[in-house]
Amino acid sequence: MAAAAAAVSASIRERQTVALKRMLNFNVPHVKNSTGEPVWKVLIYDRFGQDIISPLLSVKELRDMGITLHLLLHSDRDPIPDVPAIYFVMPTEENIDRMCQDLRNQLYESYYLNFISAISRSKLEDIANAALAASAVTQVAKVFDQYLNFITLEDDMFVLCNQNKELVSYRAINRPDITDTEMETVMDTIVDSLFCFFVTLGAVPIIRCSRGTAAEMVAVKLDKKLRENLRDARNSLFTGDTLGAGQFSFQRPLLVLVDRNIDLATPLHHTWTYQALVHDVLDFHLNRVNLEETSGVENSPAGARPKRKNKKSYDLTPVDKFWQKHKGSPFPEVAESVQQELESYRAQEDEVKRLKSIMGLEGEDEGAISMLSDNTAKLTSAVSSLPELLEKKRLIDLHTNVATAVLEHIKARKLDVYFEYEEKIMSKTTLDKSLLDIISDPDAGTPEDKMRLFLIYYISTQQAPSEADLEQYKKALTDAGCNLNPLQYIKQWKAFTKMASAPASYGSTTTKSMGLLSRVMNTGSQFVMEGVKNLVLKQQNLPVTRILDNLMEMKSNPETDDYRYFDPKMLRGNDSSVPRNKNPFQEAIVFVVGGGNYIEYQNLVDYIKGKQGKHILYGCSELFNATQFIKQLSQLGQK
Amino acid sequence: MAVDITLLFRASVKTVKTRNKALGVAVGGGVDGSRDELFRRSPRPKSDFSSRAREVISHIGKLRDFLLEHRKDYINAYSHTMSEYGRMTDSERDQIDQDAQIFMRTCSEAIQQLRTEAHKEIHSQQVKEHRTAVLDFIEDYLKRVCKLYSEQRAIRVKRVVDKKRLSKLEPEPNSTKTRESTSSEKVSQSPSKDSEENPATEEHPEKILAEAQPELGTWGDGKGEDELSPEEIQMFEQENQRLIGEMNSLFDEVRQIEGRVVEISRLQEIFTEKVLQQEAEIDSIHQLVVGATENIKEGNEDIREAIKNNAGFRVWILFFLVMCSFSLLFLDWYDS
Repeated sequence: MAAAAAAVSASIRERQTVALKRMLNFNVPHVKNSTGEPVWKVLIYDRFGQDIISPLLSVKELRDMGITLHLLLHSDRDPIPDVPAIYFVMPTEENIDRMCQDLRNQLYESYYLNFISAISRSKLEDIANAALAASAVTQVAKVFDQYLNFITLEDDMFVLCNQNKELVSYRAINRPDITDTEMETVMDTIVDSLFCFFVTLGAVPIIRCSRGTAAEMVAVKLDKKLRENLRDARNSLFTGDTLGAGQFSFQRPLLVLVDRNIDLATPLHHTWTYQALVHDVLDFHLNRVNLEETSGVENSPAGARPKRKNKKSYDLTPVDKFWQKHKGSPFPEVAESVQQELESYRAQEDEVKRLKSIMGLEGEDEGAISMLSDNTAKLTSAVSSLPELLEKKRLIDLHTNVATAVLEHIKARKLDVYFEYEEKIMSKTTLDKSLLDIISDPDAGTPEDKMRLFLIYYISTQQAPSEADLEQYKKALTDAGCNLNPLQYIKQWKAFTKMASAPASYGSTTTKSMGLLSRVMNTGSQFVMEGVKNLVLKQQNLPVTRILDNLMEMKSNPETDDYRYFDPKMLRGNDSSVPRNKNPFQEAIVFVVGGGNYIEYQNLVDYIKGKQGKHILYGCSELFNATQFIKQLSQLGQK
Repeated sequence: MAVDITLLFRASVKTVKTRNKALGVAVGGGVDGSRDELFRRSPRPKSDFSSRAREVISHIGKLRDFLLEHRKDYINAYSHTMSEYGRMTDSERDQIDQDAQIFMRTCSEAIQQLRTEAHKEIHSQQVKEHRTAVLDFIEDYLKRVCKLYSEQRAIRVKRVVDKKRLSKLEPEPNSTKTRESTSSEKVSQSPSKDSEENPATEEHPEKILAEAQPELGTWGDGKGEDELSPEEIQMFEQENQRLIGEMNSLFDEVRQIEGRVVEISRLQEIFTEKVLQQEAEIDSIHQLVVGATENIKEGNEDIREAIKNNAGFRVWILFFLVMCSFSLLFLDWYDS
């Protein structure tokens, strides 16, 4: 495979896409043939499969691969004779039952079964039973274990699952009343997905994790699973032609398993970069944004139905060049760039329109054969560039809408104020406004924002505020309408982490405020950012980034020195804290057990941009924004 | 990487079979598997649609193979290494063109037919969608194969045009042939660039003039001096020059127009595609509008009826109340 010939750092998105395309091509490597005969097939998936496929392949691409229909497994499906069906499902009980039912009802001509993660022997026998009963054994053409049980969102970011988020959420892992068996199930799910991830990546990592956390449990299990698979020489997934050879056996990637509990402030942090803002403020799932637009401001006549809001949803894909470039830029930059793109688009549009007038004028001129020839050539080029222009316009519209929606939220909730303040708190510089003022300020942000601010303050102070102060804050918070449950939980957490180790510090940083209204107004931009400060982010390293830095560069640091070390390829399976490998790593994978977010991802991307030739992949068991996290914290605090 | 567990599956099938046999469970297909399979297969409706679709695909495949097979010969014949094998006469090429066109027409007709028939007997939405998509695939395939054909054809036409251009310059003797071939190359490379054509055209009359002289001279010598006086010779010469100039300018214009026409035809293709797309959309809009007007008409009718009913209802209520009061009065009078 071309992808495997490159280094391990071929993006995980490419690998998963290639694997999916191969599966859709009946598990034969896909060769583009412009005069190939069309082959048609039907794709059946369950919700897991849908989540995996939708960020990677659009409906048009599915069509190109010959898929005529794509249906959910548990929907009503009619028999379509003479067509092969490709199934892409998780091997759960209900899915297997439904598949057996399909076999009995003879819905399709041949069946290609692909399981997202490995299927157990007993379930395979169930299917065999049903196939026998329906005399359809020959119809089951192929059965495959795809090992694709993870969702890739970006070139270098993946999430474990979307459907059963509650099972592996932060709350599920940190519940006080969790039983051992439940914990085992959760860990098994996580390890299964991580295992699939490494099979797709094609490399066996070196694992490091902190002690005494959920991450350690995951690391132990993952190490065991990898080890078992490597020992089983006959069926090992990491040898032979599955990989494109172990050329990169010298450069094994580093897997850093961290637990959410090292850093609870980052998920609550207000953010200022484009992608993180979209995730925080709007409804953003699996690279799809759902916007509600109010249609017009007319007065509705009495007795009419309430105004319906248009729901629009946009896909933010890797094809969208603007998005790729500006995902991580601070918001004012994004606004300016949208303006610039809009202007260049208008210039091109004007050129095309000008051609129209030229053609109209010169049409009657007799001696204008030469001019005509120029115009025909120009016209051809204009017409052929039209689709490109249309696409550009669509993207510009998309980003204008999204950015406007985000801007509205920022203005309504004064998110820039919060951002600046939190940065100051987290970097322990002096605060110019007191916390109490901001909390009691009635028109700065929703109660949730205030809660977030206070929690960040509580987490980052070295010593807890005195009882009197605390009472004051609590009163102010309840006046503002906040629910105090998360605070309970954070208190417990703080007490716990104090026992274990000192809480992580955030490093020093400053933010420069470029003054109100500055050059943004001068560009006459549509985005009237009055009163929104044009803040510039200075580079700062979040705790996760710092841990990664230490481990990757083999720096010695009291924080990370006692991290456990696992190497599944070593024969002796003991854990020594002494790493055998003394060289800095080139590839690293950071996995946060308990949930992650785009702020950390962006921070890692920024960190690695400065280093040549190194690559980082970021993964988490679930992706939540601050709202969802606060909900989980309040549920935890209610006990 | 995916792991093929088909063999494992077949092994489990065998295990289950033996287990069922051992347990003596009649699983309906267990023992008489093969016979039942045959039985169960035949009542299944043999899909007419897909077998015909596959036929069309095989036809198109044959066309494609045919085109590819003769492609080398079709194109190669213009190379000046005239080998025995790769030669095709023009008539053969025309034959191929004609055959290909007939074939393509029949294929597209077959597809249209399939399309109309596909939606007749089927009630399920999914099957309809599936069939439309299948037909789209087949059409796309046909288009791709037609592109092969049209590419071939375009190359051929271009070669013919170039050859004609070259053959126009054939009468010049060899000394100037190199200059001409370079100028004609220049010309053929940039037919839309005036600046290069003009020097070429300017070169032409001079050369032709230069060559016409000795030719005329030889021809004149051959004829004999009886009929031609010097003045007549000069007149003829001038007329020749004039004619040649005219012909050349005409020729240039024709060449330019050819280039234009090719470009225009390309544009035309693009436009027709877009117009056809829009036609479909406009049709659907038309349907929607017609439906909307009908709905509005019905709505109006319903409103009218509702108003009538309202009025009628009121009348009845009034009537009822009046009757009640009259009956009360009557009873009262009756009692007293």
